[in-house]
Amino acid sequence: MVNGKKLEVTDGATITALLEELNINPLRVAVQLNLEIIKRERYDTTLRAGDKLEIITFMAGGSE
Amino acid sequence: MRDEGAREDKAMEKSDTLKFAGREFRSRLIVGTGKYPDHRSMQRAHEASGAEIVTVAVRRVNLDRTQESLLDYIDAKKYTLLPNTAGCYTAEEAIKTAILAREVGLSDMVKLEVIGDQRTLFPDNEELLKATKVLVKEGFVVLPYTNDDPVMAKKLEDAGAAAVMPLGAPIGSGLGIRNPYNIKIILEAARVPVIVDAGVGTASDATIAMELGCDGVLMNTGIACAKDPVAMAEAMRHAVIAGRLAYLAGRIPKKLYATASSPLEGMAEL
Repeated sequence: MVNGKKLEVTDGATITALLEELNINPLRVAVQLNLEIIKRERYDTTLRAGDKLEIITFMAGGSE
Repeated sequence: MRDEGAREDKAMEKSDTLKFAGREFRSRLIVGTGKYPDHRSMQRAHEASGAEIVTVAVRRVNLDRTQESLLDYIDAKKYTLLPNTAGCYTAEEAIKTAILAREVGLSDMVKLEVIGDQRTLFPDNEELLKATKVLVKEGFVVLPYTNDDPVMAKKLEDAGAAAVMPLGAPIGSGLGIRNPYNIKIILEAARVPVIVDAGVGTASDATIAMELGCDGVLMNTGIACAKDPVAMAEAMRHAVIAGRLAYLAGRIPKKLYATASSPLEGMAEL
């Protein structure tokens, strides 16, 4: 699961590979894997079936 | 015209800057990034506002449109990003959001919002104070959005907030500064900057906040939802400078009756 959506990811793919596949600039996001924040140095962590990933970034907003 | 420029410079001169947490900003206007018709108009409004700090929300990357990024429209060299915890209703949510925001690696500041009521978007002060304490301990520069309550403002300051941000009126309401007397009391006690956040609907609202002695004004809807956001952004820039200058200049006391400004002596015999 990535951002609440089911996504097919090759077993053993790293976070880096996933971000690349999704066209996401790793320098503009934060990643949380199964509720644990993953530092950029650890984006080589491999993903497994059933993992829950949150990829967050800055979006337009002021208040609320 | 030269005079006008010189006076504008005075309000922005080095000695009169917005300072908190060891940072210094020439502009006392902080603007949002939400609700603009499009990214281009936001970018032009930011430019016109003269602001140096812009607020951003912390959200999931849109997986259908990963190419699009708000950050392409905010020059990192020119603007300091102020991530907010908008949409959080508990201290826990707000703390987690702030930590994720810092993890992006572009800012260690947080505009801390913990909302207590969906209709008014008034803050939940109990949760806000809790989150402030935790995030200060975690090394964040915490700018809490609070109501116009002097007691709460003091508690937030004591908890280590880098500035306090009382609302002028509910978020997005455009009702202006509803309780200038409370803002005044907050200002009298505060040792950290006081930045009015929310409620500003038009230029005079921002001026009133600055005339009261506030250190800055934060707004989003007032600019973004104006018919012409870029023109309103420019108006707000002038309004904040005007209010600041008037505050520094020291206004005359209000009197019930007239005081002539022309001499009474030397009048011709008519």
